[in-house]
Amino acid sequence: MNCYLCERELPQLPSWRGLFLNDIQEVICGRCKNGFMKISGTVCPICGLPNEGLCRDCRYWETTEYAGLLQSGTSLYYYNEAMKDFLHQYKFLQDIVLSEVFARQLRDELGKTKAAIVPIPMHPDKLEERTFSQIDCMLEAAGLRYSQYLTKSEQVQGKKTKKERMSAPDLFHWNGKNVPRKILLVDDLYTTGTTLRHAAKELKKAGAEEISFLALIRS
Amino acid sequence: MKKRIRNHERKMPLTELEQFLTGRIWLREFMPFAQEEVDSAIAAGKIGVKKGITENKECTRCLERSPQKIISFNCAKCQSVCYYCRHCLKMGRVSSCTELIYWADPSPKPKTPHSFIWNGLLTNAQQRASDEVLESLSCNQSHLVYAVCGAGKTELLFPPLAKALEKGQRICIAAPRTDVVLELSPRIKAVFPDSVIHTLYGGSPAETGFAQIVIATTHQLYRFENAFDAIIVDEADAFPYSFDPSLEGAVIKAKKRESPIVYVSATPSDRLLKEIPNQSKIFGRFHGHPLPVPQFRPLWNYRKIFSKNKIPKSLTRWVNDRLAKKEPFLVFLPTVELIEQAIPLFKKLDARIEKVHASDPERKEKVLKLREGKISGVLTSTILERGITIPNVQAAVVGADEAVFDSAALIQIAGRVGRSSDFPAGEIVFFHNGIVRQMDKAKRQILFYNKEGFR
Ligand SMILES: [Zn+2]
Ligand SMILES: [Zn+2]
Ligand SMILES: [Zn+2]
Ligand SMILES: [Zn+2]
Repeated sequence: MNCYLCERELPQLPSWRGLFLNDIQEVICGRCKNGFMKISGTVCPICGLPNEGLCRDCRYWETTEYAGLLQSGTSLYYYNEAMKDFLHQYKFLQDIVLSEVFARQLRDELGKTKAAIVPIPMHPDKLEERTFSQIDCMLEAAGLRYSQYLTKSEQVQGKKTKKERMSAPDLFHWNGKNVPRKILLVDDLYTTGTTLRHAAKELKKAGAEEISFLALIRS
Repeated sequence: MKKRIRNHERKMPLTELEQFLTGRIWLREFMPFAQEEVDSAIAAGKIGVKKGITENKECTRCLERSPQKIISFNCAKCQSVCYYCRHCLKMGRVSSCTELIYWADPSPKPKTPHSFIWNGLLTNAQQRASDEVLESLSCNQSHLVYAVCGAGKTELLFPPLAKALEKGQRICIAAPRTDVVLELSPRIKAVFPDSVIHTLYGGSPAETGFAQIVIATTHQLYRFENAFDAIIVDEADAFPYSFDPSLEGAVIKAKKRESPIVYVSATPSDRLLKEIPNQSKIFGRFHGHPLPVPQFRPLWNYRKIFSKNKIPKSLTRWVNDRLAKKEPFLVFLPTVELIEQAIPLFKKLDARIEKVHASDPERKEKVLKLREGKISGVLTSTILERGITIPNVQAAVVGADEAVFDSAALIQIAGRVGRSSDFPAGEIVFFHNGIVRQMDKAKRQILFYNKEGFR
């Protein structure tokens, strides 16, 4: 098999490793893997950005009506060149097999959670255009169960200012299903935190009590 | 010499849509035309439509079939199990529910006048090969031009190209690498200044009109079908053409069924030598001087020495020699990692030494700077093994015993040296950690060319 990202041949794994059923196969080479930078050290307790204490964005959010909605959050990787290239190939070129690239990391992070895993949904038009939901597919590749309680209401316009994006009208609506007490939202890219807070607000209205999140990337 | 090539008079000009799509096979959703215009041409039967992935799970664009590359998924667009092709993904994803379109109703092409501006000077060997290629093309037979680096193979193609244009034919010149395409394009354009010539490679700027000559990377041929009256495959042996059988399929798909292929190579594979009956061989350089013969010099444990942040002594000596004599030089290294490790060390010898590798966006500029003397030397991967000509350049291969340097690569690298008639000699050194067969083979082959070229 060849690396999904650089097409170099991957070293053959000893065959006995395939015997462990829940062993997730590596699909990229060590070199490509090293291109992604994990976030470590002291981070903002809400969004996972490397920071001493609450970061500037989260401090701002905590002064708005969205205060306290997100209990805690984890962001796994920095938004570096390698990650930009990855997202381009996965989302823009629609290379669905790349949903497997972070499967191990997602399973390690989310495999033992007691909360209900809820991927940030896509708008149906956007979903049809992309032909797949990038977060759902990543969760599936990691063998994680997830459920959906939200629908996306309108397409976020791209080039808005940060301020406009932070004060956008409601992005999500509750789909009417019974919402569990503990929720873990999953998104690919945390930029301003608007998306996640809008989702959290709607879920809280629908009965959720404790909401945390996992973002693959913190930009 | 300027010759005006006369053609029959002008017919109705083609619509832009027909100009664009004739001979092409293109993703419907990525057409650079208004959707209504495309839709109505489809309704009128002018444009034909094909499924992106066939029922047999073959990609209609690149002909890929392996299950590792044709991937199934639950498609939210067509609401069923869909397949997509990973092999040609970067050209825009082809899937079962995407459509590829082509011009189904070609009208007679308006014949346009061409000029042929060229000094017409060929060596006897070039002239013979040129006549032979012309002869093969005139009877639709494939041909192999086996010519050493610096034989002047591009020039000998000019007369056959002029003849083809005169006949109103559409020709493709395909080369495996963008560097080679970029090097060829201005030379062809200078000789045929009135012809529409398109230059296509990954990320190339958009071109307009109906191209009589297409100069393209072999990859770009995926986007053509039944288009060309002849295809010239330059550097027919080079990576990735030789490693990727689908590119060979792309060449065959891009040409019209009866059209011949002219293979041009300095290091043809045994298969080409065996399979192509019409062959021309040129073993001497156009300037009449022999090919520089590689010297073998040991460079024991060079990897270990580099990892201790040192340059092996005899290599330092070689580089210092070049710097003292102000000769531009290329140092070929087996891996990108070794280049990264070595560059700061070489910078200490001379700050004007640069590095180049396959994904370097400034590759073109750096080669140009080396030619202009603005940088003194370049550390490179095999990416610069062909297509570049720098007067008085000297070359060293570090780790000539490593597997990436097969005999064809070593011959190509040696072929960078002594190309210009002002500096027909030069040094090519294979630094090694033990002589291997591929090194011997390369040297033997070069000695053979020199013997044959001077008979
Ligand atoms: Zn890789
Ligand atoms: Zn924060
Ligand atoms: Zn394909
Ligand atoms: Zn589909």
